[in-house]
Amino acid sequence: MTTNNTHSRTLSPAPALIQCRRLTKTYKKGDNTITPLQELDLDVPAGDFLALMGPSGSGKTTLLNLIAGIDRPSGGNLIIGGTDIATLSRSKLADWRSTHVGYVFQLYNLVPVLTAYENVELPLLLHSMSARERHQKVSTALELVGIADRHDHYPRQLSGGQEQRVAIARAIVTDPTIIVGDEPTGDLDQESAQAIMNLMTRLCEDLGKTLIIVTHDAKSAAYAKRTLHLEKGRLVEAADLAARRESTVPQPV
Amino acid sequence: MIAPKFIPVVVKQLWRHRVRSVLTLSGVAIAMFLFIAVQTLQEGVSRSTQAAAGDTTLVVYRANRFCPAASRLPQFYVDRIEKIPGVASAVPVKIVVNNCRASLDVVTFRGVPREDLAGPQGWANKWQLIAGSVAEWEKRSDSALVGETLAARRGFQVGQSFDASGITVTVAGIVRSSEAQDQNVAYVHLDFLQQAAGKGGGLGSVTQFTVRVDDPAKMEAVATAIDDEFRTEADPTMTSPEKAFVAQAGADIVEIVKFTQWLGWGCLAAVLTLVANAIVLSVQDRIKEHAVLQTLGFRSGLIARLIVSEGMLIGLLGGAIGTGIALAVVHFGNFSLSQEGLSIGVRASWSVLAWGLIISAGVGIVAGLVPAWRAGRREIASCFRAV
Ligand SMILES: Nc1ncnc2c1ncn2[C@@H]1O[C@H](COP(=O)(O)OP(=O)(O)O)[C@@H](O)[C@H]1O
Ligand SMILES: [Mg+2]
Repeated sequence: MTTNNTHSRTLSPAPALIQCRRLTKTYKKGDNTITPLQELDLDVPAGDFLALMGPSGSGKTTLLNLIAGIDRPSGGNLIIGGTDIATLSRSKLADWRSTHVGYVFQLYNLVPVLTAYENVELPLLLHSMSARERHQKVSTALELVGIADRHDHYPRQLSGGQEQRVAIARAIVTDPTIIVGDEPTGDLDQESAQAIMNLMTRLCEDLGKTLIIVTHDAKSAAYAKRTLHLEKGRLVEAADLAARRESTVPQPV
Repeated sequence: MIAPKFIPVVVKQLWRHRVRSVLTLSGVAIAMFLFIAVQTLQEGVSRSTQAAAGDTTLVVYRANRFCPAASRLPQFYVDRIEKIPGVASAVPVKIVVNNCRASLDVVTFRGVPREDLAGPQGWANKWQLIAGSVAEWEKRSDSALVGETLAARRGFQVGQSFDASGITVTVAGIVRSSEAQDQNVAYVHLDFLQQAAGKGGGLGSVTQFTVRVDDPAKMEAVATAIDDEFRTEADPTMTSPEKAFVAQAGADIVEIVKFTQWLGWGCLAAVLTLVANAIVLSVQDRIKEHAVLQTLGFRSGLIARLIVSEGMLIGLLGGAIGTGIALAVVHFGNFSLSQEGLSIGVRASWSVLAWGLIISAGVGIVAGLVPAWRAGRREIASCFRAV
């Protein structure tokens, strides 16, 4: 492992796909300053499948939103695919999201007036392509998540698991660089959650996608290649975590 | 404003709140109906009363008289008027109306000498004959050539007799003219009308002379010359350009119609608040949805344009319905505001239709601007945290 690392560092110093350097987010609330994220350093190589865990309020969503480009850091650098996205203008950042990010929400967030098909088509409307090409891509994505037979259903006609499949299809249809999920299984029953995590794993393993998901559920986290823990806006080393576990009440995992 | 591929998204958003959309749409339609009705009146008034550069028609009336029943001038004045330099033609006209007050349904008879109407230089030459014949009119002394608007309003057919003010005539033809006055009048033989009217002055007495000058620039000079000619007579004259005459004689109507302009502006304000209210409500419902769109990469400007398009669509649809109904009512109603035997034609025109659509769409856009701009500027992450 160590040799491997030195080896690759000397031979191909390819930087990680996502590089967080002293990444900080603060909010001013009157005289108080809340710091959900404090000088965080994190590298995520391409093709990684990372699970973020941590107690409520530890800054998981904040970190995920910064990486997804829907929130702005208060300090530090956030370089993704060579672009420091903190420096992009509002509309340039929107354009960047449309090509580089697929976001999967806990509560799916499908547009209720649009069918499954139209929801998946939505992000493609931002790209210049023929209607036929769009149709092709939407069909492929729906097929991939196994929901093609429900393409003309509206979100209210689908189960939670099915809605989340549609949401995943919407997140991958533009073939983004990274896919992020904020507790994507948080609102699903055990069975649906497993199916969704299987799907996520396939995205990583078969399609080579880079995934970062936030989860409370160790079972879901187990699907990821690695798990990081956040606490009070900082990453906690696995060793520290183990030590702390021993010193406190045993936790069910 | 937005690419066609986004139109289904906009339409589906309106369709989601069908009841709300239909209510807003109806409100817009009613307001636009009133606006267009008012606009049509305004247009009619300015067409009939505002001088145009090429106008050559003067009206010679009995001085200090404003009602056809009161204006009596000797018919023989016509020879003296025609001798005045700059006068191309002068036609003695006898006018009888069944209602002297401002009204929407007045029958006006105009008695004109046979050759002045049907002769080689006659007025009938510039009219379009819709039914019947001028020759028939020449033959029968109690026949009438009826303006299209009057004929449509009263349902007159060629060969039919009708009675107004105790005068019975038979329709010999129906004519179309570019002048609002002709459209709303029954042209009859002068001597017939003088006899039929009897107490109104009898033979040799007319209401007015319609004078054409040979050069629009000479209107004023000729008018003065005519009035000077008869200043010392027992029946002095007052000559004015036809449109100024209509504006003066129909002053009551003109005043009222001008006032209704405010009603029109009020209607537009109503459209604005209606659409703005609908948009504000629907944008508030969709804060999270717009945050999702932004997450997908929709730019603020695109989201704003999508919302503005909703406003425009409501405005346009409501405007189309309201304008369409208003123009249909005006068209099939053949209204003509008449006072003192003069008419202000109320016509449905393509330009009013086009303006109705443009204005309602424009107001819809304006109504959507502020909520649209605000929706596009929201911070995405905080939208997801709220609720
Ligand atoms: N807009 C905001 N204003 C103030 N505080 C915020 C805002 N957004 C997040 N926070 C705070 O940041 C901290 C981290 O939040 P979050 O990233 O959502 O945590 P997690 O997802 O791990 O539960 C919390 O204490 C939260 O209250
Ligand atoms: Mg969270």
